[in-house]
Amino acid sequence: MGSLNLMPAVVQAVQVLTILMGAPLVSGVVAKIAAGLQGRRGPRILQPYYDLVKLFSKETLIPDNSSWVFLIAPIIAFVCYLTVPLLIPVLTTFGLPLGYMGDILGGGFILALAGFSVALAGTETRAPYAQLGSSRAMTFGALIEPTVLFVVFAAGIITATDLPYSMAATVRSSASQIVRPAHILAALAFFMVVLTDTGRIPVESHSGTLEFGMIDEGRTLEHSGAPFALLKWGSAMKQLILYTILIDVFVAPWGLASNTRLISVLIAIPALLVKAIILGTVFAVIDNSFSKLRLFKITEFLAAAFLLAALSVLVFYLGGG
Amino acid sequence: MHTPVPSAFTGTSNMIAVLVLLTEFGMFRAPLLRSQLRLYALQSFLVTILAGFLAISHHIPELYALGIISFVLKVLIVPYVIRRFLDRAEISLSDDRSLGVASMTLLAMAVSVVGFFTMNSIHFDSAALPTAALDISMAVVLVAFLLAILRSDVVSQAIGFLSLENGVSIASMVVASGLPLVIDIAFLFDLLVASVVFGLLMRVHHARAKTLSTENLDRLKG
Repeated sequence: MGSLNLMPAVVQAVQVLTILMGAPLVSGVVAKIAAGLQGRRGPRILQPYYDLVKLFSKETLIPDNSSWVFLIAPIIAFVCYLTVPLLIPVLTTFGLPLGYMGDILGGGFILALAGFSVALAGTETRAPYAQLGSSRAMTFGALIEPTVLFVVFAAGIITATDLPYSMAATVRSSASQIVRPAHILAALAFFMVVLTDTGRIPVESHSGTLEFGMIDEGRTLEHSGAPFALLKWGSAMKQLILYTILIDVFVAPWGLASNTRLISVLIAIPALLVKAIILGTVFAVIDNSFSKLRLFKITEFLAAAFLLAALSVLVFYLGGG
Repeated sequence: MHTPVPSAFTGTSNMIAVLVLLTEFGMFRAPLLRSQLRLYALQSFLVTILAGFLAISHHIPELYALGIISFVLKVLIVPYVIRRFLDRAEISLSDDRSLGVASMTLLAMAVSVVGFFTMNSIHFDSAALPTAALDISMAVVLVAFLLAILRSDVVSQAIGFLSLENGVSIASMVVASGLPLVIDIAFLFDLLVASVVFGLLMRVHHARAKTLSTENLDRLKG
């Protein structure tokens, strides 16, 4: 059984399924660990799945004056989140058949399209908090964009390609690739991007119910029923996708399958989930150790991320570091 | 464009130098004087680590001595002196905000790019440290200038000067790591003198003006 070879297309489907089915699990485990750090018992690990099942069976309410955009946006976002795992190294060290249809920037654009459609739906409701969340999410999204671009530039000039697979291969190739400042700075900058994009503590309180502090969470306040389930599932998937990019491209691209044998793919799935949970624990510790930044101080945080990313490119380009 | 991969030694020493630059940026932005001081101590500690790293990898015994002296002086004594002054002055926040965050960060980045470019065009080959460390040390010096120029309180200006010395000492490690110990120690004692002078100036200024800000000095005539 160990030598059974899978078709590349099957492995690719398994990549998407891993993100799809694993995302609520990672969220659940991280929520449990975060609760443990605060001395609470916390929800069950499988709670996110129960939430999704419950939401899918609830009725869908549509605000007055909103159009089809309100209903189609969660589906577009969900499809976007299903597309990105085709492009990034989730389980394998090599690109699968559809893996080369877009580069790192392409993946970034698809994630941005998802964020845009959710924000559009939020704006369309004409409800104050959803609009507030949407406008903030777009503002900070625009401010984090230069950082993302510079991280992509850094990965691009280190590997002379723009494929996430070759960045991961470069990191694996030797220890000197890991300690070089261009790599460490780009990884740190991307870490801060993930912190911002998943709505974690220095930027946004992850589990709060206070509307005034909301950014990403605020956008979906008006949604209910199945579309809301898709949005919640989508945001869990977005989190796991970003974790996967950070882990499998920049920080720890080990434990991936280097061939299509069944056994190596089967090992790669729990390896990814465990790494994602470890990273999630790091985020939970950050959640517990820092306070939320005031809204107008978030730009300082984003400026720091941009500084790291820009320095990464500079050090490489001018110093060969 | 494919540049050769730097060795692990080069990468690590470049990384330490980059961390020194990052602490410089941190000092540039820190609103709390105490955290600025803490960052200065951290930066000096990083410079000490770089000296120790160099001493181990290149077997230069003088650098051990230099590392120990600079640790005692720059990580312990100088921050302690300024810390005691801050405790007595009972002012902890630098109140000037002449420029916004984004413009300050961008300005500092532009200045460090200038540093990178100028040093990079020299093509200096060092026996001890990678050339990139020299570029970074120039960037540290220029950002320290910016820190001393743009922040208008005496403590920040003193720290700007002191951290400038950290940049210079990295540069000296790159250019002349085999420098006779006496010269390095002379530099460090210069620093000690400077910190005494700065301590005195800060105290006199605070006693006269009842503030740490130097803005009223700008308006003096004559």
